[in-house]
Amino acid sequence: MNRRKMLAAVGMAAVGLPLAACGSSDESSETGPVELTVSVWSLASTPEFQALFDAFQKANPNITIKPVDIVAADYPTKVTTMLASGDTTDVITMKNVIDYARYAGRGQLKDLTSLATTGNGAKLNGLDAFQQNGKYFALPYRQDFWVLYYNKKLFDAAGKPYPANLTWDQYLELAKSLTSGSGQNKVYGTYQHTWRSVVQAVSAAQTGGNLLGPDYGFFADQYQTALALQDAGATLDYGTAVTQKTGYASMFETQKTAMLPMGTWYIAKILSEKKKGTTAADWAIAPFPQRAGSPGVTTFGSPTAFAVNKNAKHAAAAQKFIEFATGPEGAKAIADIGVVPALLSDEIRQAYFGLPGMPTDEASKKAFTPDKIVLEMPVSDKTSKIDTILNEEHQLIMTKDKSIADGIKQIQTRVKNEAS
Amino acid sequence: MADLSTPARRWRKSLIGWSFILPNFLGFVVITLLPVIAAFGLSFMDWDSYNPPKWIGLKNFERLLNDESTMVALRNTAYYALGHVPLTVLASLGLALLLNRKLAGVGFFRVAAFFPYVTSLVAVAVVWNMLFNPEFGPINQFLSFLGMDVPPRWTTSTTWAMPAVIITSVWRDMGYYMILFLAGLQAIPQEHYEAAKVDGATAWQRFRAVTLPGLRPVTFLVLILLTVQSFKVFDLIVVMTDGGPGRATLVLSQQIYRQGIIEGEFGYASAISLVLFLLVLVLTLTQFWLNNRRER
Repeated sequence: MNRRKMLAAVGMAAVGLPLAACGSSDESSETGPVELTVSVWSLASTPEFQALFDAFQKANPNITIKPVDIVAADYPTKVTTMLASGDTTDVITMKNVIDYARYAGRGQLKDLTSLATTGNGAKLNGLDAFQQNGKYFALPYRQDFWVLYYNKKLFDAAGKPYPANLTWDQYLELAKSLTSGSGQNKVYGTYQHTWRSVVQAVSAAQTGGNLLGPDYGFFADQYQTALALQDAGATLDYGTAVTQKTGYASMFETQKTAMLPMGTWYIAKILSEKKKGTTAADWAIAPFPQRAGSPGVTTFGSPTAFAVNKNAKHAAAAQKFIEFATGPEGAKAIADIGVVPALLSDEIRQAYFGLPGMPTDEASKKAFTPDKIVLEMPVSDKTSKIDTILNEEHQLIMTKDKSIADGIKQIQTRVKNEAS
Repeated sequence: MADLSTPARRWRKSLIGWSFILPNFLGFVVITLLPVIAAFGLSFMDWDSYNPPKWIGLKNFERLLNDESTMVALRNTAYYALGHVPLTVLASLGLALLLNRKLAGVGFFRVAAFFPYVTSLVAVAVVWNMLFNPEFGPINQFLSFLGMDVPPRWTTSTTWAMPAVIITSVWRDMGYYMILFLAGLQAIPQEHYEAAKVDGATAWQRFRAVTLPGLRPVTFLVLILLTVQSFKVFDLIVVMTDGGPGRATLVLSQQIYRQGIIEGEFGYASAISLVLFLLVLVLTLTQFWLNNRRER
């Protein structure tokens, strides 16, 4: 986008500003058919939305849902503009907690504290992320967390037992021994994707470190592991992955990697790829690798939630939808297509592992019940600034432009100077 | 016949004229002019796009001077312009000279040189990224073949990322400016060359004394266009490096986008835009002034 276009966006937001003042009133006592609007991203490739809508409309015949479909990459920008211009879309889906914090902080969402503190609401995984000064403005309906995917055939071929409770050192050694071939035929032991969370969120979750600073010394061990993997050639080199824009899904589905640390959102995708026959990868999941000597399984993840627009036309119906989507029926509907619901009862877990194509071994089930899921990135008004800094310095450490120690020192200085 | 110069008639004519440009002008006002004016005002305010803007005077500009990332972006933008402008002028002028002759198939080569410019920028960036790949990329394989032991790591190195971006953009833009130079070359009267030849001028002397002065109006135009284009570079960098590694290729328009659209700090983003605008304005005016001085 050039400067002119960006100015145009600013201007359009300015033109829309007065409209915010004349938002609609609450029509909580309405009867008769209601058309509820819900903002979603990439409806066609995100089947969970349609599954929820179908289930809800079946249970509530007098409410029809009209999705407001937005391209995934533009979603945050578009929603920001919509809310600023007084748009009356009823339910706004919160794609990530950072944007949520911004909308809630500006007072653009309705208070849902009563839903969050009673009944099923209080049992939702990942609910804490949505607390703001003791109030809740959104309720999570799905909660993804990170597990270790692996390719059974590649383990068999190397004569290695399937991973179950790995420490990071064991993971590193295993990755080295699973690496084979060269050139076009090279198979890597693991694929560490280029996102900073692969290193940073893991270390924060498992050492108890705070990603908002001020001390980032807890990054050191995990960076050592990441760089050791890279030096040994046991994972695709960071620079290559970035320049080729390597996709983690294609690495795993074309069987170019034996292991893949990744979020549970990938389960739904690989289930559907298997069903379509586009991949032959015989896969299962294992608990996320841990630091040596740590009790239990700690991983990280982030929730996705629904919120009600302050200017909603049908606020009552919107609340009803959220109660449904985050409740047992909604959870069942999305678990049926391989998505991890925020309400994770034993019954839903069972249904989940009963899906055709889903691995059913003990390690996979254990991977699905981690002892602790730490929020991927804590929410505060500094989050997005710190996120930028962490991203930039992550690149420098991974491309060996800076040593681990220098990188950490630089992060600490920049967070102190630029985000305080 | 009524007198065409009566005030009423003149008014009528003007109104008719205006009505012709009105549809376009309205669009320009609503979509470009008003937002630009709004951005001027916004740069003195604190605004998150939702709550009412607050007047904060020069605070945004104060922040800008102390913001390391913005300063890095400013330096990088200048670096990009310093590489991109002269190299593109040289490359496009060279191409134009080469293709400004009667040669079988010259049309084909001209089209070939113009092709990069009409190719989708995303495709260009992705393909060049692969060419620059430090391990498997053809560029480094060629350099190793030539005997270079440690070829540059291009887009994965803070030192070489900007040169890589500059090379890509020169390649992309040279065809377009070549066309401008070709037009300029063809406007130089053949007699001047003949006269120079008769006087015994060598090829180099003819180039210095006939071609270059003859091309001056075109060169001036190309320089202005290139400078403006360089300072607002955005798309190529976003697709190729997204400002990385680290902040090695972070440029001003990207910083404006990040602060405004991503962080929601429209006041601060407008302040950076204003600085960028003033920068380009001063550079363009300087070029005009230099050009006028030489013309005299």
